[in-house]
Amino acid sequence: MVKAVHYVNQFFAGLGSEEAARTPPSRLAGAVGPGRGLQAALEGIEIAATITCGDDYFAEHEAEAVARLLELFEAEEAGILVAGPAFGSGRYGYACARLAAAVAERGTPAVAAMHEENPGVAAAGKAYVVPTAVNVAGMREALPRMAALAGALASGRELGPPEEEGYLPRGVRRNYRTGRLGAERAIDLLLAKLSGETRTEVSSGFDRVEPPAPVPDLSHALLALVTEAGCVPQGNPDRLPTIRARGWLRYSLAGRATLAPDEWECVHGGFDVALANEDPNRLVPLDTVSELVGEGRIGRLHDAFYTTTGNGTPAAVSARFGQEIARDLKEAGVEAVLLSGT
Amino acid sequence: MAWELASFPAELLRVDAARVQALAAAEPALAGVDVDVARPGEPIRITHVLDAVEPRIRPDGRPAFPTEGRAGLGRTNRLAGVAVVSCLDFPGEERPLHEQEGIIDLAGPGAEVTPFGAMANVVLTFKPVAGAGHVAIDQAVRRVTLAVAQLLAEPTLEAEPAEVERFELGRPTPGLPSIAALVQLSDLGQLYIQYVYGAPAGMAGLPRAFDPAELLDGAVTCGEYHWASMRNPTIFNQGSALVRALYREHGKRLNFAGLVLMRGYEQTAADKQGAAEAAARLARQLGADGAIITTDAGGNSHTDTMLTCRACERAGVRTAVIVSEQADPTSTETGLVDWVPEADCIVSVGNSEDSVPAWAPERVLGGELLLDGTRAREAGPIKTQDYLGATNQMGQLDLAARTW
Repeated sequence: MVKAVHYVNQFFAGLGSEEAARTPPSRLAGAVGPGRGLQAALEGIEIAATITCGDDYFAEHEAEAVARLLELFEAEEAGILVAGPAFGSGRYGYACARLAAAVAERGTPAVAAMHEENPGVAAAGKAYVVPTAVNVAGMREALPRMAALAGALASGRELGPPEEEGYLPRGVRRNYRTGRLGAERAIDLLLAKLSGETRTEVSSGFDRVEPPAPVPDLSHALLALVTEAGCVPQGNPDRLPTIRARGWLRYSLAGRATLAPDEWECVHGGFDVALANEDPNRLVPLDTVSELVGEGRIGRLHDAFYTTTGNGTPAAVSARFGQEIARDLKEAGVEAVLLSGT
Repeated sequence: MAWELASFPAELLRVDAARVQALAAAEPALAGVDVDVARPGEPIRITHVLDAVEPRIRPDGRPAFPTEGRAGLGRTNRLAGVAVVSCLDFPGEERPLHEQEGIIDLAGPGAEVTPFGAMANVVLTFKPVAGAGHVAIDQAVRRVTLAVAQLLAEPTLEAEPAEVERFELGRPTPGLPSIAALVQLSDLGQLYIQYVYGAPAGMAGLPRAFDPAELLDGAVTCGEYHWASMRNPTIFNQGSALVRALYREHGKRLNFAGLVLMRGYEQTAADKQGAAEAAARLARQLGADGAIITTDAGGNSHTDTMLTCRACERAGVRTAVIVSEQADPTSTETGLVDWVPEADCIVSVGNSEDSVPAWAPERVLGGELLLDGTRAREAGPIKTQDYLGATNQMGQLDLAARTW
């Protein structure tokens, strides 16, 4: 028997309606409210406790509410969290999804249930969301679906595709056989597009970055050097991958005005690095920038440079590197970046 | 002008190891070659795969993989269902570009993800001469592999074909949309090169329009050993599903406007832009209303694909592009390396990062250790990326990725 914890809001916990919406997180023994119907549908899973929180409290104290609910959840040593169903309720749906995401992030299966257009769906992260009707009239259909998915997750077996298992697609991309060659599908899609119906099998998920305003006065600015050229100390001590890097590195430039070829190398696997290794300044132009600092044309140089391998890296991963590096630079008061690409 | 392709059954396959070894012995960069045949269903894993070639021969005596003259004329014989598979573990040495692991399984779940799991594979495991250098070794391996492919087709000269296909484009039918195939060929440097009539793609004057039959008839051969799943081995050019489908649909749903070969991995931003615009101009000159853009390998070749898409759309040629996704299967982050807003019609050929379940072969050909040091017999789940052609971006297979 797997132990489950069920999350519901103040209303479904029987604590009251809007007047109880500011109730902080609390625990109730066993199954409560819709949890009783859910329990009846569950096989091999027992709802050990119900945890609840007022919708307004959650919205106004999200970090505290999630932390406290996680404590309550973890105290039960349960194998799965089930949240909702929240139907079309935005605040309740968000709380269900947010808590489920937090539990799933810690490696415990979590399933929330709500209407597919509930804004909470976007907050579910790695948790699964069972689609429901838009209002409580859909309770009777929702509970067996939640129970079925909870049972599948608790069994530890690998889940099948969304339409077979009854959850909303989470955005991960898995392979399958279409039964029609890619070349034939390309022809089908192109002919459809030419007749006015444009479809795609892959949506980009790319964001477009607006260029920032120009640096007002470079001669007083703190400038940093950033590169995706895979420039690292000789011997690559931190083992930066030559391709598909999973992170970025920062190396001190303190006391240096140039990058000596016997101290630095390029480990990028996507271009011929022979010339770059003859003079690493061509990847990270420390020599030129140092001269410009000396001439007063650049204010100061940040005392470290940032490096990764930009080679076959999905754009979403690159975007994360950029955000992390930018955060570091902002904290250091960097006002301008010279980004050398390859 | 017409070209005929005569198909002969795989039962004609006879492998004379001594003749294959004699071809390798003539190469100073090679110390020898092991010859094996791996058939569908046998518990075999083939590793360090570089290329796969369909056995072909011309009854008129001209070479099956010409480096001069013109392919796509007269008649060529093929041994259907057979692939000559070259395998080599390059000696460790300083070099700019490294071959990536390439796997074929003849049984287990991996046999389902590549077309070679269902073919008779004549496996050539080459032994290099130490110190010969990767350039000379690679040239020798490609030369011998293509020669073996021609050798193995010799029995067709004395046999009756099971089928003869005629490739000839009749007049365009008024009212049907004209579609061009824009086929990308890598050239990033040695080990990452597709060859056009024996010349590296970067030295073949691309982009350029070709008779589509030339592609099907051995004009393009593969020396591109980047990620195996996104690799286009020679046999995919010989059997281009896109070119074949466009021939088949010509005069039915569309007019086949023609074929443009383009280089992938143009080396500067200006070259990428210029080549993309030149390809778009060629598509216009062919009278194309639409173009299907294929991709070879990954990384910045995807930028070439996307820039070509944009240039075509701006020139009034509507596009569909074929690319592999490379998305962490536990993440919801997008798996495209590059993208332009004009790429609104993308064919997924699968997610190369998704895994193929573990399987324990009883026999390994090509080399016992995978390039990452794990034992090929005991390897756990393997990324789709390592299976030859599994997410190829020519549209040869029916794989796609969908959102879970």
